Amino acid sequence: MTKTLTLALLAVSLVAAPAAAHHGWSSYDNDTAITLTGKITEASYTYPHGTIMLETPGKTWLAVLAPPSRMSARGLPSSDLSVGLQATVEGYPSRQDPKEMRAERITIHGRTIELR
Amino acid sequence: MQPGAALLEALQEGSFAAAMRDSIWLYPVVETVHIIGFAILVGAVIMFDLRVLGVSKRVPVRMLAQYLLPWAVAALLLIVPAGFLMFSADATNLISNRAFVIKMVLLMLAATNAAAFHLGAFRNVDQWNQETRAPRSARLHAGASLLIWLGVITCGRMIAYV
Repeated sequence: MTKTLTLALLAVSLVAAPAAAHHGWSSYDNDTAITLTGKITEASYTYPHGTIMLETPGKTWLAVLAPPSRMSARGLPSSDLSVGLQATVEGYPSRQDPKEMRAERITIHGRTIELR
Repeated sequence: MQPGAALLEALQEGSFAAAMRDSIWLYPVVETVHIIGFAILVGAVIMFDLRVLGVSKRVPVRMLAQYLLPWAVAALLLIVPAGFLMFSADATNLISNRAFVIKMVLLMLAATNAAAFHLGAFRNVDQWNQETRAPRSARLHAGASLLIWLGVITCGRMIAYV
């Protein structure tokens, strides 16, 4: 009986435990909006979210995009994420990895696609 | 840790995992199946827990268990394979996702708690089947189950946001 109660309390405390992150939501600094323009050097159009490597002067960033179904629905087919293309991403830098950012929108071929 | 990491990488490089990542519709479909499954499972479990906690005492507990619990178990046939597929698509990241890890711990607690209930208080269900307050241990198991499953859903949802 006390065992069950301990389990219940443990469950509650685990749920309440602060969440650490890897590739998550809270791991990006929402107070610091950044805009990066560069050349796509790698692209993946995959679940759970697409990504590009964006070569900017001095630094190559990993920009986390959106799920492929959303990008496709918003008019950003996989062919738009081609290596060598110029792209601009606006979003928030990771708190953990200084080379990673989460893109809120991306501009390719002069068209801006909202990712959230 | 090394053999574990190698196993995760092998899983992630498998053809099912690749299909989950690359197909435009597979991941959302599998995710939907997972949700339909756990809506049935957690819905059934919570309705049963509430009855044990004392809601609608005129409904016989044994009869409710006979109706709801097979659905809960059957739903696992949707939930577990769908969850495993989603896990395989992003295994190496998920294993270090705090919400995912807590969710797995909670699932083990839920299973242990359910087993303890069925091997314990539920054996004497005929004594508290209808119009009677369930024994304290039964109510504690039901209360724990309720909280654990709410925690499982919360953590599952949080995987995408932590």
